[in-house]
Amino acid sequence: MRNKQTSTHEQTIGMGRQEKSRRRFLKNVTTMFGGAAIGSILSGNAISVAMAYVPSADSTLTDGKVFNSAQLRLLKQICAIVIPKTDTLGAAEVDTHGFIDNQLFHCHSKVEQEQTIELLSLINQIAEQSLSAIFLKLNAEQQFQLLTELDLGEKRFVQTQRKAFKKLKQLICFGYYTSEVGATQELRYDPVPGGFKGSIPYKSSDPTWATRGLFD
Amino acid sequence: MKEQIYINKTSEVYDAIVIGSGISGGWAAKEFCERGHKTLMIERGGVVEHRKDYIGENTPMWNQEHRGKVENILVDQQHNIQKQCYAFGNTTKHFFGNDRDLPYTTKPGTEFTWIRGNMLGGKSLLWHRQCYRLGEYDFNANKLDGYGNDWPIRSKDIEKWYSHVEIHAGISGSKENLPNLPDSEFLPPFEMTTPEKDIQARFAKLYPERPMIMGRTAHLTQPTKLHVEQGRVKCQARNECHAGCSFGAYFSTQSSTLPAAAKTGNLHIAPNSVVHSLIYDEATNRVKGVRVIDNNDLSEREYFAKVIFVCASTIGSTQILMNSVSKKFPNGIANSSGVLGHYLMDHNYNSRASGDLEGYEDEYYSGRRPSGIMIPNFYYKPDPKRGFLRGYALGGKAYREGWDAQQHQDGLGVEYKNKLKQAGKWRFELYAQGEMLPRFENQMRLHPTLKDKWGIPQIEFDVRFSENEKQMMEDATEQSINMLKAAGLKNVSGHAKHGPPGLAIHELGTARMGRDPKTSVLNGFNQSHDIPNLFVTDGASFCSSAVQNPSLTFMALTARAVDYAVRELAAKRI
Repeated sequence: MRNKQTSTHEQTIGMGRQEKSRRRFLKNVTTMFGGAAIGSILSGNAISVAMAYVPSADSTLTDGKVFNSAQLRLLKQICAIVIPKTDTLGAAEVDTHGFIDNQLFHCHSKVEQEQTIELLSLINQIAEQSLSAIFLKLNAEQQFQLLTELDLGEKRFVQTQRKAFKKLKQLICFGYYTSEVGATQELRYDPVPGGFKGSIPYKSSDPTWATRGLFD
Repeated sequence: MKEQIYINKTSEVYDAIVIGSGISGGWAAKEFCERGHKTLMIERGGVVEHRKDYIGENTPMWNQEHRGKVENILVDQQHNIQKQCYAFGNTTKHFFGNDRDLPYTTKPGTEFTWIRGNMLGGKSLLWHRQCYRLGEYDFNANKLDGYGNDWPIRSKDIEKWYSHVEIHAGISGSKENLPNLPDSEFLPPFEMTTPEKDIQARFAKLYPERPMIMGRTAHLTQPTKLHVEQGRVKCQARNECHAGCSFGAYFSTQSSTLPAAAKTGNLHIAPNSVVHSLIYDEATNRVKGVRVIDNNDLSEREYFAKVIFVCASTIGSTQILMNSVSKKFPNGIANSSGVLGHYLMDHNYNSRASGDLEGYEDEYYSGRRPSGIMIPNFYYKPDPKRGFLRGYALGGKAYREGWDAQQHQDGLGVEYKNKLKQAGKWRFELYAQGEMLPRFENQMRLHPTLKDKWGIPQIEFDVRFSENEKQMMEDATEQSINMLKAAGLKNVSGHAKHGPPGLAIHELGTARMGRDPKTSVLNGFNQSHDIPNLFVTDGASFCSSAVQNPSLTFMALTARAVDYAVRELAAKRI
């Protein structure tokens, strides 16, 4: 990562390079003040992308960091049901299940990891109890019905289980809407808006903004 | 300009040493350099070059490690304190201190969060950029109720210095002619959304004494020729400011004061130089220089100057003074009064309220506005019936819910996906920004035994919000709820939570100004009463916190103090 040098930056770097780059920047921005110019100026400025999660074509083929491959297959199907493919790809197609496995491992507590595994077990357990088959063997209607009951904490499920499922839905939504497809195709992504307009027309077919800024 | 700007060892005696490179240090360096004074800026952290080192900037979520969140292990080992700051994340974490290297303690039974930005530019890279002048009611507050000492200055002393720094920095906002909040030299304000405009109109009728204005912020909404010459352009409304801004659209040391200082050829910078203490010469009663420990290899070196400006942040500046002991000043240099370290303040953001706005389905906005609305302190006149002293401002904004708010609703499948695709309902929220009384017992001190890796005594904090601040937050919650309901919002709720101080990151006081050398550290020009060539111009010098975000006042006090110091130097009085 190129930022490794930042903390131990050499003390002897002169202003020459900065000055030159400042002039180039100034020239670019003031003479070609358009989106394309802005994009090209900033493209040289990126944090290392090597550490970002790279979606896999099929992350259910092997065990993950938190889930085994059977659990990943179940999670993939849940992703497909919560955010299905429409005229844009859905959560399963962009490997949200693989992302969740990675994200839970790196950024969530052991307790949260275990709660998610327990929830997956519960879904299979209830499927087997009530329909004598694991979740993946149910038909589409049965799967949808079972997750709907879980989402509401009704019938075959209770309210604490509903809360656990809401947490999983949050992971699915986070994974999907921060993916490239979710942000740029399903929603509207505008990295450099060019300024703030307090009022623009909106109709219900318009997608919402993908980014709300880093801190709001 | 062939000369190297970054130096390490030197025997040069500078005209001025400026300790710190944040908002105050940047201004001190610029003002000295532009007056032809050879200046050494000392920074404890490494170099951050404008644009080149904004490594988190403009990175889409899907290209960020963990989509912007920070790895557990890293947080646990290095950032357990720093992670509490709202701006801490994957694209900014390199600008925050490493807690492992920056230990501090709190007196048992108290809590204090100390957020650190130790690199060139300091917290000017990480600040929230809201800019408000202090006014006559603020400067009079201590005198009227007897908490703290009287500010030795009034509006007339600082007005032209506010103008001076505002024109250079670029402050967006609207002229309002309010008695409780002086106007600045403004660039155009950010726009309000349509619901905000309507709420503004409703408040104007319902609460004429509580006007709602657009937040004032150090962003170039319409750069002047001066700003363009600085290499800065218009704010693009990305609201990713804390990662650094290559457009230079918000004020930072890197975007604004450093290029101006460097252009003069009078600036040297000593990075990775942790100031251990000031070197005092008892015979002349002057500070001669500073003792520095190298940030990386822990070797020692010294720098010398005719005048020393301590701009190392409120806690950092006072830590340096406290650690500079001599026969004459056994309890910290410039501390003949004994008040050094006392009267520590922060702001109090412990009240929030919000509600739903009906309608406006065909209204939206574009861009991510890096500012909200502001209702200036409407309790600026004391009133014993209120039950508490001082007051608060209310900040807030209206916004339409996106997927992140709507994801919690029930539902699955195509219908759920299509709902989350659409902009949701409008919400409007208010939060309080309350004044904290200056109290002697709220203090920082050097720990008697614990030291950091540079051999500098650790700070022990003993600070708490008092009953006054708690009552104020209860009142703010009640008032906010009432105002939101009166303005027609639905599902209004709010709460006060009474969290500990520190997280406003508005540390103030501990080396206060004052007229009386027996009860204050600095005079009305931020000059030490005890030692004429020693100045402290950051938040440490504040007598009261007022409710306003303090950074603009750091700038004005610093520029004014340099002007004074230069004249005193010329007159050979220091």
